[in-house]
Amino acid sequence: MPFRFIVTPRLCTGCRTCELACSFTHAVNGKPGLSRIYPIDGGFKDLYVPVTCLQCEDAACVKSCLVNAITRNEETGALELNAEKCVKCMACVAACPFGCALIDTKNNLVVKCDNCGGDPVCAHFCPTKALEYREVTDKKLKSA
Amino acid sequence: MVNLTINGKLIQAEKGEMLLTVIRREGIEIPSTCHHEAVEPFGACRLCTVEITRKDWDGWKRYVTSCLYPAEDGLIVSTHAVEVIELRRTLLDLYLARSPKAKLIIDMAAEYGITKTSYEEIKDGDDCILCALCTRVCDEMGFHAISTVGRGHGKEIAPPLNEAPPDCVGCLSCAQVCPTNFIKFEDKNSTRKIWGREFELLKCEQTGRTTITKEFAEHLSNKRDIPIDYFNTNDETHRKELAKTMGRITAWGREEE
Ligand code: FES
Repeated sequence: MPFRFIVTPRLCTGCRTCELACSFTHAVNGKPGLSRIYPIDGGFKDLYVPVTCLQCEDAACVKSCLVNAITRNEETGALELNAEKCVKCMACVAACPFGCALIDTKNNLVVKCDNCGGDPVCAHFCPTKALEYREVTDKKLKSA
Repeated sequence: MVNLTINGKLIQAEKGEMLLTVIRREGIEIPSTCHHEAVEPFGACRLCTVEITRKDWDGWKRYVTSCLYPAEDGLIVSTHAVEVIELRRTLLDLYLARSPKAKLIIDMAAEYGITKTSYEEIKDGDDCILCALCTRVCDEMGFHAISTVGRGHGKEIAPPLNEAPPDCVGCLSCAQVCPTNFIKFEDKNSTRKIWGREFELLKCEQTGRTTITKEFAEHLSNKRDIPIDYFNTNDETHRKELAKTMGRITAWGREEE
């Protein structure tokens, strides 16, 4: 059964622990990386939506990358950006309709969420389980 | 899978994989300037040269550019043999004569113990080391806006006829991959200048931030079937919009603030 990254905005308190976890997990040479996830004001009182890559099926970032640096990891289902291949044209950053391809200016990299290779660290740290990484049944997948 | 020896250590590699990739995966550092994963290996800088031999070569050795040499069964590779180091030193010495002010070259040479070139410095030498990464990346992306022109001493990187290149879209990849930061560009307000051309940068209405050039966006929209208005909004605004949409779904029936 496939694992999915499940976001439940109703449970998010906007504590931003996920940002910290992400940033430290993706540190480069001892320098914290840019967080790939952001709890953003959802437009209602006390409602935050953790925004991160949706790992789209027909993804704009993949289509926009002229050197094919973004590919699907078949095991985790996540779209991974190969930093060695990236030529930093910023096409994906501009193309993603959800703003989830990001420029890490401090480390001079273009980055996006890769589900931490199959074990998203933010989910471990989320105190309210607004972020989860768990198996979903085929039935649920279809109805979703 | 093939088995080879690198610096005395037995290593497995994928068949056909280039030696440089294998060497770097092993955590061994060797210098290079013309290598980039986005393009095919080119063998221009020669800095990645290593020594190879085999058991049945009777002690004969070869010096090959590791970025262009595929891993083979039974290969014995040495990345820091005395001869290899000597070779790299000569190269760096020459590079230093050509581009005495390029930081990358200065740093690489210093690591090999060279602080001043033993050759004559080229008068008004520039930071371009002719690795041709810029033109290769430009070709790979399908623009072919710049190329190497001339040969030998007069070789340089330039747009055709040294005029503003009509095929350039101002994506800046050439400048981004340039190992010595030689390719200059300017982003000011909503214009970008590069290779003697001026481009209009698309601007996000909500934040006033620029995204990519209009030409690049149009190219991607035509060739890759991405709606053009995706590019008129910057990432921050896109994220906020997503949060608002998801928020509305989550709080169905509640009163918006
Ligand atoms: S990396 Fe430049 S010649 Fe191999």
